[in-house]
Amino acid sequence: MLNRLYRWLDLRYGIGEIAEKELTGYLLPRNINEWYSLGSVLLVIFAIQVVTGMLLMIYYVPDADKAFKSVSFIMNEVPFGWFIRLCHAVGSNMMVAVLLLHMFSTLMMGSYKAPRELNWVTGFTLFALVQGISLTGYLAPWSQLSFWATTVATNSVSAIPVLGPTLVEFLRGGKLVGPATLGRFFALHAAVLPVVIAALIGAHLFFLKRTGISAPPFGKDETANPFEAREYHYQGHPGGIPFFPNYALQDLSSISIYFAVFLAVVFFWPNMPFTPDAFVPADPFKTPAHIKPEWYFLANYQTLKIFPSELLGLSVQAAAMTFLALLPFIDRSPERHPLKRPLFLTLVIAGILLWIALSVWGHLS
Amino acid sequence: MENEGRRKFLGVCVAGCTVAAAAAAGYPVLRYLAPRSGQGGAAKLVIPAGELKEGDAKFFEFAGSSAVLIKTNSGQLVALSAVCTHLGCIVQWVKEKQQFLCPCHGGQFSTDGTVLGGPPPRPLAKIPFTVTEGNITIG
Repeated sequence: MLNRLYRWLDLRYGIGEIAEKELTGYLLPRNINEWYSLGSVLLVIFAIQVVTGMLLMIYYVPDADKAFKSVSFIMNEVPFGWFIRLCHAVGSNMMVAVLLLHMFSTLMMGSYKAPRELNWVTGFTLFALVQGISLTGYLAPWSQLSFWATTVATNSVSAIPVLGPTLVEFLRGGKLVGPATLGRFFALHAAVLPVVIAALIGAHLFFLKRTGISAPPFGKDETANPFEAREYHYQGHPGGIPFFPNYALQDLSSISIYFAVFLAVVFFWPNMPFTPDAFVPADPFKTPAHIKPEWYFLANYQTLKIFPSELLGLSVQAAAMTFLALLPFIDRSPERHPLKRPLFLTLVIAGILLWIALSVWGHLS
Repeated sequence: MENEGRRKFLGVCVAGCTVAAAAAAGYPVLRYLAPRSGQGGAAKLVIPAGELKEGDAKFFEFAGSSAVLIKTNSGQLVALSAVCTHLGCIVQWVKEKQQFLCPCHGGQFSTDGTVLGGPPPRPLAKIPFTVTEGNITIG
């Protein structure tokens, strides 16, 4: 039956040719490693976020008077509502964590170097957008945590000279966080950002397909970037391993490991994405003590606190983000092996340690 | 040959796991989407008989659907489903003519639900009721 269906489709659309080109004929470097499967894991996470988000929209009401009640209803009354919501809330944290790992591997293997500059730039923009979609979604439950975390996060924009206060008001839809903020954040979270993210994922994959996958710099004597800017050249890997079944199995293993960790958090650590303030409806007249952002914003939050002026804190962060976004255009050396790039390796390790230290400090302060 | 057997075995295992995973993910989603029981409205409804004048109709929600109670000019009480048997629109009471009209496609029903004209294939369903001490109990 399946064979007949395959033949029917193949005769009309030549799907065998596509399968041959994209699956069995798509050759990957022989020394490819597990880190390369994180992109597939991220695609799965994004798909889960989209599906669970659509399911949540069935019962969620984006109205300041009803949002908290509707989320409580999903959690307590709707069969498996708690499961769908936890998958969405835990999934957003996981997406940031896996994105960080994906970027870390790209950094360490020097895969951002020419001709893959735009792969990095689109990836880095995706990272910023994922943080944006997490921030806008954070307000949706309209809890004390959502309300005050959004107040603090949007307030930091006011440090921008001249335009700051106007920008904050524009962002919030009013002087303070209120029902107007929920409306615009929900539209951004559920309509605008998912479409932009999906489009950028498309661009990211397009660049990947056109440049060809990079070979890891490990296990070879020659580790310099082979790219020469003369004419367009697809980097193929003759004699490499086929994507299907070899690397598809690696993708499947990584996705399975991801699911094991993800579901372990959903079932055994369901309070991971929440603090006690997440279970209290938003009260604009009662600021809770010690309101903290999500773990991935803790370093930014602490940076803002340690600088004497907020503007300076924001500028340092903007400079660091710009440096990272434009890294492929700054670091132009052909060498890709991390051990042959001591300055780069030192900077990466120091940067990661600084980020961890600031996050811990932000958490404890 | 041995490799073929192993490949087939692994294929069956992967397919089995995929089906199990799809079922494990599909069941919560189906339960999540399924209409909640007990949301269909009351199975019994009491309407004070005094609320209805002769020749009038009262529409209400009953058992998750729309229903209508009428008191004909002759004083007879009738309870019917208000859902047109053609394509499910809600019929309207035309007091002057003492009959129901479905605004969607012009179906007409008499006070006892019989089809008088238009496309409806069946009469309106009757709903049982009792009258005790001035109260009409539907259902």
